[in-house]
Amino acid sequence: MYSFRVRFTKEQRQKYLSHLELIKGIERAIRRAQLEMVYSEGFHPHPKLSFGPALAVGTASEDEYFDLELTRDYPPEKILESINKALTEGLNVLAVKKILHRVKPLNAIINRASYVMILRTDPRDRSVIIDQLNILLTSTSVEIIRTNKDGQKVVNIRPWLHTLTIRIKDDDLLELEFIGEIGSSGNLRPDDLLRVISRPVEVLAITRTGLWREEDGTVTRPLDFCDKAGG
Amino acid sequence: MTTDWAKIESFLNRVTKPGRYTGGEFNSTVKDWQNVALKVALAFPDVYEIGISHLGLRILYELINNEPEMLAERVYAPWIDFQELLREKSVCLHTLESKKALRDFDLIGFSLQYELSYTNILTMLELGGVPLYREERERDMPLVIAGGPCAFNPEPMADFFDIFVIGEAEEILIPILKTVQEWKQSAAPKDKLFNDLEKIEGIYIPSHFKVSYLPDGKIKEIRSQTEVEPVRAVVRRFDQAYFPKRWIVPFLDIVHDRVTYEIQRGCTKGCRFCQAGMIYRPNREREPGPIFEELRQLIADTGYEELSLTSLSSADYSQIEKLITDACGCFTPQKVNVSLPSLRVDSFSVGLAKKFQSSRKGSLTFAPEAGTERMRLVINKGVSREDLLTAAEAAFKAGWQKLKLYFMIGLPSETEEDLAGIVELVNSVLHTGKRVCSRTNALRITASVSTFVPKAHTPFQWRSQISIAETVAKQSYLQTKVRGRFLELDWHNPETSYLEGIMARGDRRLSKIIYQAWRKGAQFDGWNDRFKAEIWWETFRECGIEPEFYTRERSYDEILPWSHLNAGLTMDFLRNENEKAGKAEPTLDCREHSCSDCGVCSGLKVARRIAGGSGV
Repeated sequence: MYSFRVRFTKEQRQKYLSHLELIKGIERAIRRAQLEMVYSEGFHPHPKLSFGPALAVGTASEDEYFDLELTRDYPPEKILESINKALTEGLNVLAVKKILHRVKPLNAIINRASYVMILRTDPRDRSVIIDQLNILLTSTSVEIIRTNKDGQKVVNIRPWLHTLTIRIKDDDLLELEFIGEIGSSGNLRPDDLLRVISRPVEVLAITRTGLWREEDGTVTRPLDFCDKAGG
Repeated sequence: MTTDWAKIESFLNRVTKPGRYTGGEFNSTVKDWQNVALKVALAFPDVYEIGISHLGLRILYELINNEPEMLAERVYAPWIDFQELLREKSVCLHTLESKKALRDFDLIGFSLQYELSYTNILTMLELGGVPLYREERERDMPLVIAGGPCAFNPEPMADFFDIFVIGEAEEILIPILKTVQEWKQSAAPKDKLFNDLEKIEGIYIPSHFKVSYLPDGKIKEIRSQTEVEPVRAVVRRFDQAYFPKRWIVPFLDIVHDRVTYEIQRGCTKGCRFCQAGMIYRPNREREPGPIFEELRQLIADTGYEELSLTSLSSADYSQIEKLITDACGCFTPQKVNVSLPSLRVDSFSVGLAKKFQSSRKGSLTFAPEAGTERMRLVINKGVSREDLLTAAEAAFKAGWQKLKLYFMIGLPSETEEDLAGIVELVNSVLHTGKRVCSRTNALRITASVSTFVPKAHTPFQWRSQISIAETVAKQSYLQTKVRGRFLELDWHNPETSYLEGIMARGDRRLSKIIYQAWRKGAQFDGWNDRFKAEIWWETFRECGIEPEFYTRERSYDEILPWSHLNAGLTMDFLRNENEKAGKAEPTLDCREHSCSDCGVCSGLKVARRIAGGSGV
């Protein structure tokens, strides 16, 4: 069998797909592309297809990944072309690379995500909001309450926020660009930043702009692991 | 007016499953709005996951979009959260493809699959900017049309629709639309259009009929103003009927998430309660060769991992064994599951299931429908206790441990003995399981019990439906008797079935009730968690209409609300079948025995058709 890493985008109306819907959609696109996948054994065989960190419903992305096992050694450019033909508008494969060595799964290597978020605010609230967001960077601890099905939990998101840039785009528009921790070492969600704002804001768009691994100051992109031993 | 996508996007993040509203699925067709002469919105009055699963609308969608001059787009009932946002933001309900408001279409076609979706139709029209009542719609507003099984008695919805299509629409659809298109380009009034349409087989124009009532509320007369009798449309060469080629592949987890191929139409088993078995006669099979070829194309084109060979009784398809064997041989290596939607109660069907189901973890479903031999003769379900136990034994021996059994309560002439028969049958199946299975840990027998609802154009159309109180009593009886570690009992909401029964045999006076109940907040009535029974009963009281009037027994000389609609079945046949039910006499399947004189073949000039053969 032959493994490949695929980089793709999830934009426009496809940003409303849930993670499971996306997986099913990509799986069917690969079948339409007549690329023969490797399946697990058993009564309910599943294709060997594994995705990177899930996106929230409504968040677009310019930099998503999945790993794929095929029964034949197709040229990567042929895989790219045939999957793109089978995909619907909004999903687009940017690159395919053959995995030459044993690699760790995407979720185990990726620990950084960058986002751009566009907010609409009342222009009169702007300076307050910018101040509140800046406190995020200057404080040593920012505790927020997260609610999930098991109840509520207080988490300190400060260690997970690595950079934050605030730009004034228009009278009533603010653009936040930030890099956060993602994966087992911590998980900064774009919505977390809004929790420190006390004035009303409307989120117009959130886009994930990058996923990578950062370790000891070295940045490695998911595709770079494909031909790097031990990744 | 174009519905502004940017505006819709601003609130899509706030609804559950926004993918219901985005469109853009693989194989959906988006045509240039400016360059077509006739625009049709195909509407399904339930949520996306249910509506997109419906085969009939898939066929119509493609047939229309195959016409260069026309376009068809889809719209489904928006969920409550999306409805609220449409109102709050003043956005019209729109189609998935071009995001155009419903009022911008020339024609809106609703599929009437079940009575409890009627209120959703009103929600969709209102949100789409279309006046609800036919009388309120001007010439330049969309024509509102409906088809589907409920169109065989559409009277409760008569005030809201311009046109009903009775029967199978695929061959008359384009002629209907061409007539509409010509009329649109003329200056003629709606009457002219209706007169022209009425010449097409299958068309029913409700405004051409005047209904008058007797003092006791029964119908005095249904008078046609044009002397035209609406007759059911039928596809005479079903083996050549169009089947979708650009199968839409949704991203959402829909209810029938697979390619469903209709291998035959119509069933002549003759179960007396079954409306589908009456209104889709005769049985017409497609040829296995073309089915197989089209399936190969569809699987390659969609990437689907499951296909279903669908029909009212797929095990009765004459070449089912060959078809299943060929399909499994071709598709199993491609990791595509093959399935049948329903099994017959016999070991032949279990043999088929063994071929296509590699795992025995799921359940097999059988429908004996009634608990005693006598009751099964009454309803003409030709299944014996022995058939069921033999089939169950075969299933257990093949490795299944979960069986599901369908039953009905409230069937005509039902006594306590028949209910006790259900309990006895379920226990006998369980004993068979205990005897045959080496390990009984996972053994599970589920009895799924629905309430019998008499339907129009069936031999039981004159019969009474049991009351809510009787339903509750019968259900309680079963709840106390069908108990134990290996047994499970499912039942239907008694009030939902009662409302369904009222609508199924209702008349035009119910339009008012539907409207009022909807105004008070009734919608998604088929959804147990949304159904508000009290609204309905309160509305009946306020309008001075007794619900029991519609569920009572009718006499043969009473004019039934649907008696002006010709489904092809003769009154003599229906009456005779009803009489035979009273005497517990069977009527045999006309495919294997002599013609049962239902009147469809001669009346509608159609013949039943077996694969590999010609019409009979």
